[in-house]
Amino acid sequence: MEKDGDLMQGTLDMLVLKALARGAKHGYGVAEWIHESSNDVLHVEEGALYPALHRLELKGLLAAEWGASENNRRAKYYSLTAAGQKKLAEQAEYWRRMSGAIARVMQTA
Amino acid sequence: MSHWMRVKALFKRKQLDRDLEDELAFHLAMREAKNRDRGVEVEEARYAARRQFGSVLRIKEACREAWSFVSLETTWRDLRYGARALAKNPGFTAVAVLATALGIGVNTGIFSVMNGVALKLLPVPKAEQIVSVDQIFHGKLSRNVEGEPGLFSYAEYKNYRANNHVFSGLLAYAPFLVATLGGESPKQVMGAETSCNFFDVLGERPALGRVFVEEDCRAPGASPVVVLSDDLWKSQFGADPTILGKSVSLNRAKFVVIGIAAPGFGGLDPWPSAFWAPVTMQKALEPQHDLLAADNTGWLALLGHMRGGISIEEVRADMGVIAGRIDEQYPGRTTMLAIRRATFMGRPEERSVVFDIGAVVLAAVGLVLLIACANVANLLLARASARQKEIAIRLSIGGSRWRIVRQMLTESVLIAFLGGTLGSLVAFWLIEGIAQFVLAHLPHGAPQLVWNVSPDLRVCGYSLVLTALTGILFGLVPALHATRQDLSTAVKGDGDGFIGKAAGGGILRNALVGVQVAVCMVLLIAAGLLMRGLYLAQTVDPGFEMKGIIQAQFDLPSQGYSTEKAQAFQRELIARVAALPGVDDVEQARVTPLGHQWEGTGLTLAGETQERAFEFNVVTPGFFRMLGMPMVRGRVFTETERRSDAPVLVVTESTARRLWPGQDAIGKTLRNDEKNEFQVVGVVRDSQASHLGQTDGLFFYTPAGPAAQDRLQLLVHSKSGETATVNGIREAVRALDANLIVDVTKLADNLEAWRTPSRIVAALSGVLGALALLLASIGVHGVVSYGVSQRTREIGIRMTLGADRRDVMRLVLRQALWPVLIGALVGVIGCAAVSQVLSNVLYGMGAHDPVAFVGVPLFLLSIAFLASYIPARRAVRVDPVVALRYE
Repeated sequence: MEKDGDLMQGTLDMLVLKALARGAKHGYGVAEWIHESSNDVLHVEEGALYPALHRLELKGLLAAEWGASENNRRAKYYSLTAAGQKKLAEQAEYWRRMSGAIARVMQTA
Repeated sequence: MSHWMRVKALFKRKQLDRDLEDELAFHLAMREAKNRDRGVEVEEARYAARRQFGSVLRIKEACREAWSFVSLETTWRDLRYGARALAKNPGFTAVAVLATALGIGVNTGIFSVMNGVALKLLPVPKAEQIVSVDQIFHGKLSRNVEGEPGLFSYAEYKNYRANNHVFSGLLAYAPFLVATLGGESPKQVMGAETSCNFFDVLGERPALGRVFVEEDCRAPGASPVVVLSDDLWKSQFGADPTILGKSVSLNRAKFVVIGIAAPGFGGLDPWPSAFWAPVTMQKALEPQHDLLAADNTGWLALLGHMRGGISIEEVRADMGVIAGRIDEQYPGRTTMLAIRRATFMGRPEERSVVFDIGAVVLAAVGLVLLIACANVANLLLARASARQKEIAIRLSIGGSRWRIVRQMLTESVLIAFLGGTLGSLVAFWLIEGIAQFVLAHLPHGAPQLVWNVSPDLRVCGYSLVLTALTGILFGLVPALHATRQDLSTAVKGDGDGFIGKAAGGGILRNALVGVQVAVCMVLLIAAGLLMRGLYLAQTVDPGFEMKGIIQAQFDLPSQGYSTEKAQAFQRELIARVAALPGVDDVEQARVTPLGHQWEGTGLTLAGETQERAFEFNVVTPGFFRMLGMPMVRGRVFTETERRSDAPVLVVTESTARRLWPGQDAIGKTLRNDEKNEFQVVGVVRDSQASHLGQTDGLFFYTPAGPAAQDRLQLLVHSKSGETATVNGIREAVRALDANLIVDVTKLADNLEAWRTPSRIVAALSGVLGALALLLASIGVHGVVSYGVSQRTREIGIRMTLGADRRDVMRLVLRQALWPVLIGALVGVIGCAAVSQVLSNVLYGMGAHDPVAFVGVPLFLLSIAFLASYIPARRAVRVDPVVALRYE
């Protein structure tokens, strides 16, 4: 059985997009946001996070920009592009339907 | 979008790497700060951050892969790495590249010959639109054939031409027409009778004058015109610019020259045509028969120019309909049409010969390449074990196996490409010279051959694919083997030095040696058998006398001689030749012994209905005495029988034995399909007068009477110098008929034509065998040397413990030679199968020739012994103290 907090492939992309929905964040910020928003349930492995960020950037779903962080260090900030927002909407809708369906199945006696 | 970013990334790799570094460092710093905020010690916080972070390297690798054209970039990196590694080991590289170059060079060379002979499209404009049409008959067939059985009659040609809907033009031509070009010194030239659209369909324009128009083919015999080849025009007519309108004599018929073909155009066969005449002039060129009117005689080859937009399938369908309609006239017969893009050697019989020979030769050179591959694979294996530690470390720090395999493969493909390029270039450079050499050494009377072996795209593609396959073939096994190791042993570095621990690689290496030896054995025994065959051919006694006998060959019917005129000519010629000084016997025969001409017919035994196929010769009674062929039963023909064309036969010993076993053949009768009975009067001793190396075919002789005079050749025995007699015969013929071409040679020269094929094959197989032997002995030597160097420490220990040099030598040799022995055994068994095939091709050679089957293995084994003895001697010279310290 998988360890608690592991993420299914594909789900991570959606979570990353969601994390950036409210504005630009750096990689660490994305990881922390997911961790906190899930009430410390979800750990995003850095080994998965950064390749995912780069992949999404290459697909044109994210835009990246270097800027100064809260503690004045150089940090790479990611933000959603128009395509990214569209993708997020799609995935959220898909997730809503899927999770509802799975929940109904699991609740069946 | 993403591709564009990747391309940019490719050029800004350093920048990207730095950014990634910064990004991850920032992440770590943030994590560390957070841990510190929670009250963890500074050092502790950093380690915790690192721990949580996992392998930075791996993340970097994963991110980079997302960014790059992974394959492109890694390939480039692998290539650079491979090139550096090869440059660092020039000795290894040179041997590997040379072995590959030999293997691929030989293959490329042979393939370009194949390509030149039978794969290239015809050398005419728009060759890709031209298809050849051949017939393949099934079922009941009764048909006369002039040339190959798939040829068409004139009526059939006209039918296909008028009724097809797929060709913009369909041409017919009768190939290989030998004619005498009259003049001060008559000359034999080869030409073709063609339909009058011949040049138009091919898209060939004349260099001078015009080509045929339909008017030229209007009616048989109506238009005696001829187009000459550029070659003939230059060599025989001094490139006379006023030749148009002049007439030339071909087989004593006058033809008006209307045009000169473009330079380089020699027709549609590798044996170039010197002239083209309208097909309707057939009777003028070949007075002895009228083919135009023979509706069921095949003599014309067909080629069509496909209409634009028509596929070859549509051609097959459309032409098939016409074939079906023609079949209706011949109940029980089904005609299939073979329609394909036209090439040289395109008719089915020619193709099967070329491809059969080609397949055998390609298989042989493929085996040489296989030996070369095994060699390089072994070298790579040895190198991989030297790099075991490096590979183990890369694997243990998380390098993927596939990545390492790929990198090693890149290196081996690099070797293959270096070798392939080198080998192919040398092959391209040498092959034309070799082809010219072979052509220049064909036997007397063999027709001139045009052989364009220059490489084209197909040859380059072939060698490219072969090279890539070779690189993967010899690289994959060592790469897989090297990356499948026990990590901890390899990293510690004591995985070698003792037999037991290196056993895995040892088995693989030995297997490769075994394969090499087996393949080499097959090639060598085959070469040995061929050389033995050649030797036997050189020394064979054909069973009849050739010494002092001269043959004079001429073709009277094609020169318009009637039987009466021929009788007078022969009588006069014999009288003149018999009067030459030194000549003591003059005889006549339809075909001269071993002259590469055969006469065949069907005869039926008394009491049987099924015809049997015989070969025969028509000879004067003195023929048997002159050739030293004694009668074992009965008698030769009498002069009376000869003069009266009596229905009597002399059969060979084996014919008598096969037809009437245990009975006396004398007095037995045979009848021909006109129900004429022939009686056997004598049985002559078997000899190889028809096919060298064969005596067992059904064969009979009939007397050379007056009715046979037009087709007889002369055999002359002379006691004095042969050259004088040869010239005397030429003079005698010229005095009687200055325009008759006579070919006067020594009878013994006929043997040469029989030996040439096996001489070429023996030379080729000898060269291949030598190559194979060279490669295999390098292989054996390399493996044993490597084994010895790996076991220096073990040998040292053994010697310290009291083993003497002989023990060590025995140990090393035993281990080195068992794979050789197994390989040799497999090779000998494999060769027994091959030799069965070979002995069908080559006369006089037993499939199990003991000299080849015992001598060659002994030879190969002693070479292998030598190849292992040299490094083994190095092993026993080892100083135990040095050996124990040996790293």
